[in-house]
Amino acid sequence: MNISDFNIEFDKMIKRDYFSDKVHPMRKKAFSKFLETGLPTKKWEDWRFTDLSSISKSNFRISEKQDAPKGDVDISQYQIDNVETIVIYNGHYLEALSSIPSGIKLLSGLDYLEKKDWGIKSPEDSPFDLLNTAFMDSGMSIVVDQNVIVEKPIRMLFISSGLESLMVTPRIHIDLGESSSATFIEHHGGDSSSFFQNGSTFVTLEQNAQLDHIRIQSNSVTTANIVNIQVEQNADSRYTFFQFADGSQLGRLNIYNELKGEGANCAINGLTLSNDSQHLDNHIITDHQVPHCSSSQNFKTVLQDNSSGVFNGRTIVRKDAQKTDSSQSNKNLLLSKSALVNSNPQLEIYADDVKCAHGSSTGALDKDALFYLRSRGLDVLSAKALLVRGFATELLDIVKHDETRDFITDRFDSWLSENTTA
Amino acid sequence: MLDIKNLHAGVDGKEILRGLNLSIKPGEMHAIMGRNGSGKSTLANVITGREDYKVTKGDILFASDSILDWSPETRSLAGIFMSFQYPVVIPGVNNTYFLKAALNAKRKHAGKKGLDAAGFLKLIKEKLNEVSMDPKYLQRAVNDGFSGGEKKRNEILQMLTLEPTLAILDETDSGLDIDALKIIADGVNRYRNADRSFLVITHYQRLLKYIEPDFVHVLIDGQIVKSGGKELALELEEKGYSWLES
Repeated sequence: MNISDFNIEFDKMIKRDYFSDKVHPMRKKAFSKFLETGLPTKKWEDWRFTDLSSISKSNFRISEKQDAPKGDVDISQYQIDNVETIVIYNGHYLEALSSIPSGIKLLSGLDYLEKKDWGIKSPEDSPFDLLNTAFMDSGMSIVVDQNVIVEKPIRMLFISSGLESLMVTPRIHIDLGESSSATFIEHHGGDSSSFFQNGSTFVTLEQNAQLDHIRIQSNSVTTANIVNIQVEQNADSRYTFFQFADGSQLGRLNIYNELKGEGANCAINGLTLSNDSQHLDNHIITDHQVPHCSSSQNFKTVLQDNSSGVFNGRTIVRKDAQKTDSSQSNKNLLLSKSALVNSNPQLEIYADDVKCAHGSSTGALDKDALFYLRSRGLDVLSAKALLVRGFATELLDIVKHDETRDFITDRFDSWLSENTTA
Repeated sequence: MLDIKNLHAGVDGKEILRGLNLSIKPGEMHAIMGRNGSGKSTLANVITGREDYKVTKGDILFASDSILDWSPETRSLAGIFMSFQYPVVIPGVNNTYFLKAALNAKRKHAGKKGLDAAGFLKLIKEKLNEVSMDPKYLQRAVNDGFSGGEKKRNEILQMLTLEPTLAILDETDSGLDIDALKIIADGVNRYRNADRSFLVITHYQRLLKYIEPDFVHVLIDGQIVKSGGKELALELEEKGYSWLES
């Protein structure tokens, strides 16, 4: 999409009669900023390894009412038991298939913005965040009051489907009140042949609140899935993130996590599987602003065929953030000689009394381990699959909700059986 | 059981075994002794089929079949087992899962039904007892965080579980304290019978006090230069290897 394509779509967006014009000033401001920045190029430091031509050279249009499903949608293949599910199909909320979670407030984007007096700050230097503000068309806002424990995970199931080249822009806000806790699952799936999803998620955790955030990126392998997640953590809050990504032609996860209150903890984890020519990119920034916080980043990627991946993890420890305890780890397993990964764990430390560890390793399957397993009678395929499974296990185990972990593990196993070669 | 004929083999283009001959009959316990670098571990790796090792001449027959073209797993399923000198740590792979997968591969090969979780647990508990291993090791990743002695016991546990007819013990005694050595030797001795053969590779005579060999061979520069009964081990302890070097 070139700039004039974006302009055409933006005009359509503004003229829609079913979107409130109260949001227009915010959209317009963001869009004009976007017109100044344009899409990132490989000359941008943070985009050095990621080619966005699948977005810039395709022509996407915003999703219209006719892109909602005509008849019934079968969502059985996405079934995860024991969760509340909100279904969004090509950007359209499907009320009939959704269940409303109890114990929380579910607001539309407009209601949320009004509740916050339009005082939402969103990044003004990132093209995809600007695009998200300009084009936001779906998503939800979840507000949990203080001391509320939401037992059942809340899942947003985003299905992208069909032959049309659609651009969908979900916006999610999650606010957890003091000492509340919840599990939120973003589940992306569907058979779309061409799709550009540009999501932004804003999480605010008040004191002592806890959020488990799980992201399943299993879109079809012809789509582009860009997501920006911003997390603001107050004192003693805990944020655990896990992404399982096996879908999308182009995937880019950006997380910016601000630890703003003492005693806050975050753990950002990802397991990425890629094959063919998929390119899946993870950019994580953890920003320690105050003392006594802890954080970890743990990302693993298994790459097959000509696929490629990026891990760019940055941990910033500001001058006042004494007694920070942080770790970064990135491990990559190359199942093919033509797979490629760029790993760049970075530490930026301005305090002097901190504990920060980081490490990165990339390699093929351990030959000694393979021989060991084979010498016990396991055939090559079983032995290799077992080793890859062993590599991934610690990350799969992060998912505490049994049914969700089982769902992800099944997907992992089927990927493994299709991608293990002698 | 095992017939090695004029075996020449090496790794990275370097010939290490230079015309080795060895014949092991069912029920026999053979010990191979030699210094570091004499080719002992190469022999073990070549018999078990490690792909880095290339055989350039000669043959290895197992129950009259040439096994040179067989994969490591085919050799294992046929009944060849090696207790590794350095058992490999496999992070993330549960020891129980691994043992059960290995046992069931073997059972399937023998035309038997695989054991379910309960059946396997019953069997493995007996075997654990035989090597005085704490059941907690079953829940850990394979050899992960195991001490040297625990790793070697885990090897013997695998031998007892997979029931090979030819067991190669590659430096199983090296670095073990005497208690662990006795436990392992007891496990091996109980496992001995008229159908099972052993090839024990060591450079310490100490092990052979606990596991009595029928034959002792001395390996120097990739060849067996002397063979004898168990008294040869004592002679080696007294005199060292130099009297055998040409």
